[in-house]
Amino acid sequence: MSSRRSRQSSSGGPRITDDQIIQLVSKLQQLLPGTHIQRSNKASASKVLQETCNYVRSLHREVDDLSDRLSQLLSTIDADSPEASIIRSLIM
Amino acid sequence: MHNSSQLRKEFIKKWIHGLQICCSSKKHMNLMERKKKIKLSADIALASAKNATTSWSKALIADVKIDEENMILINNLSGPESKFVGAHDQRVTCHKRIRSKKILKKSCGVGKRIKRMGSRRSDLATCIAERLVKKRTKVLKRLVPGGESMDEVTIIKEALDYILSLRVQVDVMKNVVNATGVLD
Repeated sequence: MSSRRSRQSSSGGPRITDDQIIQLVSKLQQLLPGTHIQRSNKASASKVLQETCNYVRSLHREVDDLSDRLSQLLSTIDADSPEASIIRSLIM
Repeated sequence: MHNSSQLRKEFIKKWIHGLQICCSSKKHMNLMERKKKIKLSADIALASAKNATTSWSKALIADVKIDEENMILINNLSGPESKFVGAHDQRVTCHKRIRSKKILKKSCGVGKRIKRMGSRRSDLATCIAERLVKKRTKVLKRLVPGGESMDEVTIIKEALDYILSLRVQVDVMKNVVNATGVLD
């Protein structure tokens, strides 16, 4: 069985142990929002990976959305207000 | 793992610096331009705050370097260039090697899979599960910068760090947006 796994692993060098993968997957699980307790076998590993992909995508979208809002807010700031000068001194 | 409050401080410092550089070069920008500059300086600030300790940050900077307009930002934010040099070229050659390896693997793997499924039906579930994991890992590789040239263990480690850093970025940006919104 272990020889089968080594054939499948994409890296030519050190064999990737199952323990390592299980450890990393459980760490990922802790990071994801809405954690549910799962048995750490291959089936739940793919779920964790899927949740990870979704989470990364949603974080990307948030960054994009926040950049949008920030750009809009900065353009609508009343140019003469004292608050605007604070922001201006910080970032402009 | 890593000290996230340290990362926050570094990120904020570099982001403000980056925004100052961006805005000093052009006084009046339209919405799209400003948004792109904000996002770009945030990404570069996040990656350079990692100080070349992770693969994804090096890959992100290497990607951004392709556009020569960004060089000023990068030079000012990431300090000595030598840390990030070469990452892009390494990745390009890695891609070619990996692509040909993948084609070879695909053609060999199919025959093996059919033989395996026939002889050990009980392992069918494991086979499917393994293929699912492979599929998801592939998707994850595309999402994390520089992920294409990483092996299974590295991509998960990098994804862990990437998620933590992205969280810091989102958190800081949210606070800035809220503070700016209040001032209106």
